[in-house]
Amino acid sequence: MTAAVVALAAAISAVMLSINWDGAEDSTAAPKIDDLLNIAIVLSSIIFAIVVVALAYALYAFRAKPGDESDGEPIHGNTRLEITWTLIPTIIVLFSGGWSWKVLNEIEERTGHEMTVDVFSQQYAWSFGYPGKEYAYSEGVLHVPVNRQIVFKMHSQDVIHSFWVPQWRIKKDNVPGITTTAVVTPTKTGTFQLICTELCGFGHATMRAKVVVQSQSAFDKWVEGLKEKVPTPLMVSVKQDTETNPEPLERAEAE
Amino acid sequence: MESASVPLPHGAGGHAADSHHHGPPEANQSSRIDRQTLGILLFIVSEVMLFGAFFASYFFLRVVVNPTAWPPKPFELPVGVAGMNTAILVSSSFTIHYALEAIRKGNKQGMKLGLVLTWLLGLTFLFVQINEYVHIGFSARLDSFGSIFYSLTGLHGAHVFAGLMLLTFATIRAFRGHFDKDAEKHLGVEVPGIYWHFVDIMWIIVFATVYIL
Amino acid sequence: MVAAFQRPGWYRAALGAVIAAALGFGLVVVLREISGLSAFQSEQTGYPQVIVPLIMAPFGFLLGIGCFDYWLRWAFGLPTIPEDHSSHGAHSWKDYFKVNTDHKVIGIQYICTTFVFFFIGGLAAMLIRAELAQPGTQIVGAGTFNSLFSVHAALMIFLFVIPVFAGIANYVLPLMIGAPDMAFPRLNALSFWMLPIAGLLFLGSFLAPGGAFDAGWTGYAPLSTGAPLGQSFFNLGVQFAGASSIATALNFLVTIITMRAPGMTFWRMPLLVWANLSTSLLVVAATPFIAGAQFMVFFDRILHTNFFQFGAGGDVISYQHIFWFYSHPAVYIMILPGFGIISEVISTHARKPIFGYRLMALALIGIIVLSYSVWAHHMFVAGMFSWLRVPMMLTTLLIAVPTGIKIFSWLGTLYFGKIHTKSTAMLFALAFIVTFTIGGISGVMLGMVPFDIHVSDTYFIVAHIHFVLFGGSVFTIFAGIYHWFPKMTGRMYDEKLGRVHFWGTLIGTWGTFIPMHWIGMDGMPRRVADYAAQFGNWNLLISCFAFMLGAVQLVFLYNMIVSWRFGPKAEANPWRANSIEWLVSSPPPIYNFDEIPRVVGGPYEFGIPGAQHAIMAGEGAEVPTGEPSVVGT
Ligand code: HEA
Ligand code: HEA
Ligand code: CUA
Ligand SMILES: [Cu+2]
Repeated sequence: MTAAVVALAAAISAVMLSINWDGAEDSTAAPKIDDLLNIAIVLSSIIFAIVVVALAYALYAFRAKPGDESDGEPIHGNTRLEITWTLIPTIIVLFSGGWSWKVLNEIEERTGHEMTVDVFSQQYAWSFGYPGKEYAYSEGVLHVPVNRQIVFKMHSQDVIHSFWVPQWRIKKDNVPGITTTAVVTPTKTGTFQLICTELCGFGHATMRAKVVVQSQSAFDKWVEGLKEKVPTPLMVSVKQDTETNPEPLERAEAE
Repeated sequence: MESASVPLPHGAGGHAADSHHHGPPEANQSSRIDRQTLGILLFIVSEVMLFGAFFASYFFLRVVVNPTAWPPKPFELPVGVAGMNTAILVSSSFTIHYALEAIRKGNKQGMKLGLVLTWLLGLTFLFVQINEYVHIGFSARLDSFGSIFYSLTGLHGAHVFAGLMLLTFATIRAFRGHFDKDAEKHLGVEVPGIYWHFVDIMWIIVFATVYIL
Repeated sequence: MVAAFQRPGWYRAALGAVIAAALGFGLVVVLREISGLSAFQSEQTGYPQVIVPLIMAPFGFLLGIGCFDYWLRWAFGLPTIPEDHSSHGAHSWKDYFKVNTDHKVIGIQYICTTFVFFFIGGLAAMLIRAELAQPGTQIVGAGTFNSLFSVHAALMIFLFVIPVFAGIANYVLPLMIGAPDMAFPRLNALSFWMLPIAGLLFLGSFLAPGGAFDAGWTGYAPLSTGAPLGQSFFNLGVQFAGASSIATALNFLVTIITMRAPGMTFWRMPLLVWANLSTSLLVVAATPFIAGAQFMVFFDRILHTNFFQFGAGGDVISYQHIFWFYSHPAVYIMILPGFGIISEVISTHARKPIFGYRLMALALIGIIVLSYSVWAHHMFVAGMFSWLRVPMMLTTLLIAVPTGIKIFSWLGTLYFGKIHTKSTAMLFALAFIVTFTIGGISGVMLGMVPFDIHVSDTYFIVAHIHFVLFGGSVFTIFAGIYHWFPKMTGRMYDEKLGRVHFWGTLIGTWGTFIPMHWIGMDGMPRRVADYAAQFGNWNLLISCFAFMLGAVQLVFLYNMIVSWRFGPKAEANPWRANSIEWLVSSPPPIYNFDEIPRVVGGPYEFGIPGAQHAIMAGEGAEVPTGEPSVVGT
């Protein structure tokens, strides 16, 4: 039986690990999260294999013969076994928890020379604000430099939206009334899609934006060329806050 | 509160279809606590959690959002009037206690007196509360403060009202002579009594958080 | 005719509802006219002239149908109609449409009503899958789509899974503990009659201007506080469903604590009883939180309070905290009774005592205690306090431990047993073990914060939901229905059709919900009517399996209806089980027992010669000699 469990777990893990479930890994967080997924896959395969093999074996070995109306053995329990199957899962989940904690800290660690970008969401569109010498806005398209940590400060004007770029593996709700943050270090240049993942009304499915990751110099040039559009009051207040006070006055997400 | 039915005749054995079988067998009592009392206690647990939901909201609005002034500037809560009201409600706990003690000793007159007093005190409380609403000067739309103020006190007011209904029933039945000394013969006062104590205690908590803190 | 309107019943109920609604309507119009407001307010969220009648009509209905007659007489000290038990038992199908205080009748009423809602909710799922079969918009627009999955989930959760368990337990639990009925039979009836009201409110919202509620079953503020009128129907429907489930839970708790047969100690209760004990504790203490959350949304909508209005000192995220403080425990409300059913079925059909009975019971308690401390795992990306994430992650992961104990103990029960798979109930129970394990494991993966950041609000979540709810809860429901069908109806169902239903459901579930994990991780968000073309093929496959899954449920429906009417007569104990409900006839006598049985041993005494769980009246006064009845661990 042990052999069957090991074989099945190995087979499932082998198949599942060979597939790239999450898609391209285009931020520093992505490989760490995918490693975590791989760990989860291996552990899950083991547990799944144990359950399935145990069940299959029981069905194979202890099926009642036709016409056999007798009862099974009156075994009421086995303390040692029960302790085992309490302890082992405890160890497994504590290990997974510890590893997740570690990954969480790593992906949220600030590098010290990060860049801030304001994200503004409203039903059903995205806008972005780039603090700098001249605070600039872009609508429907987000540009960021590659290999530089970006701190997204998210603001919503109406209902909750959520910011997700699958290739970055990072997601965060934009909550009206507070500022939420997410940090990402993109590692690959190219064009991506920003997807709204919090139900926000009938336009939720189509609330997307283009994300362009480019070299720092190309990015700088692009920001310079941005013309200021007429911003909404929220954008103005966020801009003023950033200019007068590095920490926004709005209640930031509590640390 | 399904107590009042007369004890049922016992089934005399045989099958259900038997003509002389008049009802279900009496259930075994497997716990010292009787059904009505346990029922009301569990109901109170769930009521406490309902208040809990609103207190949770209170916590978020007051501590997490943390407005500068609570209540917002020009408004003040009439702590004095509410304090007086608290005294009224607390004393009604004593009168209902008196009523219960009385019937436990078989003193029906005392029970009626206690019930009527409690009922009057409860009604006074509600009147003072409504009067307070009328004169308080702000509505439930005043920021989140107005919302949580009215909903916590209003939720409690609704419970006073529910408690008063129970007391009304108990009082009517008391005057019709339904209660007596034996424990199971005055559950109909006992149970509203427990509920009334809960309403009182809840008010002290609401008062302490909303008015004083 | 006049007499028909005076007796409790449908005529009076209709009259009551109409009068109450008219009263409410008149009140609103008159009051608004007096205060100089426009009589008919039609701003998006308000509509007092609809809302007030909507609140009052259900009470008129309940009053009319006869839920309050006895209480009102009692309250005013009038002579209560002596208990003649004429409302006990059902003599024709018509009796199921009346207020009845018999737990067996109420149980059937519950089960049939909830299955009606299951099929309506399933129909909504079919429409969802039809729309999603291809990218682009084909069948319903985005707004209607949002209503569809919101109503789908609301019906499945509040009107199917939660109450159907209450229905099954209503039927078997009093029998199992040797009680003649539930502790508060009239409250029991009231609980039942509040259910269809909730269901009608949910469905009625399709008629509201602006369409049915469409903020998801989670109804997050501020989307819900600004949504059209239909959202108020949801707010109110949840109150009725919630009140119903609190009242039932209270009833179960009192019944279990005070009405067990002599000799039935806590450690001799069947695990189904334990499961309902713990579930009821959850319901009583958690459900008020969703009531609170929906009240606040309702007030924000109707009275324009500012609980969640961020411009006016409200707190948007507090809604989620309060909502999930109920709705996480709610997922255990939706699975623990199922655990109880599985224990009964597995032990009976494997002819073996439950392995580690005490630890099984303690695991239930462990789950309910832990379940209060994990709510924020639904909010890892919601922008809540970030320090709360790690503690919530750890408690979330730890829930796998007591749940694992249950899974392994069921496996342990099978070992050295004599496993019979002739009953469809057992097939569902065995499949449940595997399918639920998958759903549980994906839950544990979601508990790991960094992974959840990636897959939250994607189809991975939809996959998890359905593996635990369909592969978990609904499988246990089917197991329970098949298992107690002979007891409830006195007839046997058709095992061949049962098998078709089982295999179809198993394949359908896996085929529908496994690929959802993949497209979720690969970037398909949930709650969208339209999606990127790259997911088209997978979605088509999913939809095909989903239609198959839906079609095979019709086999189940057919089997149940036809077998109930024409199936072969069932013996008292077709599965040779031990617990008390099998020691009475099928269906049980009108008052359950002539005399309360006496419990002399544990509930799962298979394989112990001479051991007995309970002695029925007339079976001899002495405790049988035989091996002493001991219970595990
Ligand atoms: C019956 C319903 C049910 C059940 C039982 C569960 C059980 C669990 N759920 Fe699930 N969950 C839902 C219904 C349910 N869930 C729903 C409806 C949602 C979505 C709500 C929405 O947003 O609409 C949700 C969402 C949800 C989320 C939020 C995801 C997100 O929105 O981002 C999370 C995150 O932690 C989670 C975790 C868990 C965990 C850890 C369990 C655990 O209890 C599982 C424990 C079981 C096992 C682990 C399997 C058996 C154990 C073993 C064989 C032992 C060994 C195992 C290990 C060591 C791992 N669930
Ligand atoms: C117990 C709960 C439960 C159950 C049983 C189901 C059952 C099913 N669910 Fe559902 N579902 C949820 C709970 C449940 N679901 C929840 C909580 C959500 C989240 C909602 C949200 O985001 O807010 C959800 C969301 C959800 C989605 C995601 C929507 C989205 O995010 O965009 C999808 C998509 O495929 C789906 C599909 C299905 C399918 C195919 C079934 C099938 O298993 C159904 C099988 C079909 C039937 C049982 C009926 C068959 C009927 C007929 C063939 C017609 C006959 C009709 C009559 C006789 C009247 N569900
Ligand atoms: Cu914005 Cu969904
Ligand atoms: Cu949860």
